[in-house]
Amino acid sequence: MSKAISVKNLWIVYKSLKAVSSKKAIFTFGKSKLETFEAVRGVSFDVEKGQVVGLIGRNGSGKSTLLRSIAGIFSADKGEIELYGNSISLLSIGVGFKANLSGRDNIFLSGLLMGFKESEIRENLDKIIEFSELGKFIDKPVKTYSSGMYSKLAFSITAVMETDIMLIDEVLSVGDEKFKKKSYAKIKELISDKSRTVIIVSHNIDTLSKLCDHIIWINDGELVMQGETKEVLEEYKKFMQ
Amino acid sequence: MKKFFKDLKRYNPYALYAAKAELKSGVADSYLNWLWWIFDPILFMLVYTFVVKIVFNATEPNFPLFVFVGLTAWDFFNKTMLNSVKLVRTNKSIVTKIYLPKYMLVLTKMYVNAFKMAISFALVIILMFIYSVELTFNLLYIPLILVVLFVLTFAFASLFMHFGVFIEDLSNVITVLLRLMFYMSGVFYSIQGRITGKYAVFADVLMYVNPLALIINSLRDVMLYGTAPNVLALLAWLLIGILATCVSVHTVYKYENSYTKVM
Repeated sequence: MSKAISVKNLWIVYKSLKAVSSKKAIFTFGKSKLETFEAVRGVSFDVEKGQVVGLIGRNGSGKSTLLRSIAGIFSADKGEIELYGNSISLLSIGVGFKANLSGRDNIFLSGLLMGFKESEIRENLDKIIEFSELGKFIDKPVKTYSSGMYSKLAFSITAVMETDIMLIDEVLSVGDEKFKKKSYAKIKELISDKSRTVIIVSHNIDTLSKLCDHIIWINDGELVMQGETKEVLEEYKKFMQ
Repeated sequence: MKKFFKDLKRYNPYALYAAKAELKSGVADSYLNWLWWIFDPILFMLVYTFVVKIVFNATEPNFPLFVFVGLTAWDFFNKTMLNSVKLVRTNKSIVTKIYLPKYMLVLTKMYVNAFKMAISFALVIILMFIYSVELTFNLLYIPLILVVLFVLTFAFASLFMHFGVFIEDLSNVITVLLRLMFYMSGVFYSIQGRITGKYAVFADVLMYVNPLALIINSLRDVMLYGTAPNVLALLAWLLIGILATCVSVHTVYKYENSYTKVM
């Protein structure tokens, strides 16, 4: 099996960078001491192509930071992330939409950012709209959407416009009961495709044990354990009690 | 730099679509819709014509046209620069969720403003016929002048976008700077015609140090007076613009992934 993602000795540090006023910028230039917070500390792991990996850990343990850096939004302060040329998409709560544009325009913009051509998006447009269950709201500005509608649209885009690697950040619980079931089924369908690599962040042990074949557990930014779903989850349960 | 051109190609469709969508939504929100694209430049032209022609007794021939040409170029630069400082912050929802080279945000804004500039330009051409301005082959210099304007705007706006992330009140600073530049660019007066006598040296300095003054003056030369612009000065600024682009693109690449950590 070939590798899809490899992370080597990854460190991510928040320097508590704050935007400052220009007065401060001039007078304290180079003098200011920065408080640092290490969100991810020396994590290394490999993910093979077609694997479904669960990422588990307490709140604030660095899961989302790790995911964002794999998606290329955060820079690594030390270490390397290699994606072997795979296309990647991150699905998380409150995805990036432009609030005063219509849902339809936002589908195009997200798709283009994910690296698809306009024609490819047009082909899939009906599928996305249908899956999102938004109906006529699709031509209304996104700012008029309810939070449920918002997440539904986000999920639909990522689910239909399939990338090689999908990063899913605690969104399996979006929408109402019906949509939840549908999205769960869709994820299962996506996962069954052996060329797709998925990383799921979740607190729900039940979901992870059903979907994943590999679990990575991090705590305080450090890797605690990785391996078979069952073993790791068992240890995790013990730890959490 | 190779990466820059690759990314430019990869993300350009996004920038174009985003610009299109932004124009569309801007239109949907207002009562007079797209008519504002036309009203906006005309009304400002009237304001300046009133102030300068009637209050200050301007002597430049075809004055409305004269102001219009200046405003067309100035507005493009001004709007893009004003937007640039807050660009990353206003696009927070996108920037924190997906990677894109941040200067593409500048490019998107430039497309939006270029479209508005094109309308303004069309109005200028209509005015040129009304005032029956003589057309000459010097009009062929227009693409060169616009390229200089584009490259310089992109370079400076990208740089200000970068600093705008870290310095919160940079927008106040830039508002003042732009106002100063506005008066120094001769949007509503002719620098060489008005700054004379013992200050004449100052006019020359302004002409070469302030690229906007040069650009506006060149546009007037080729469009209104049928003379050739100062090509050498334009090329020099083009070179500076390209170098500045290299610097700002390099800076943006180096720091863009820490932008999200600041916000």
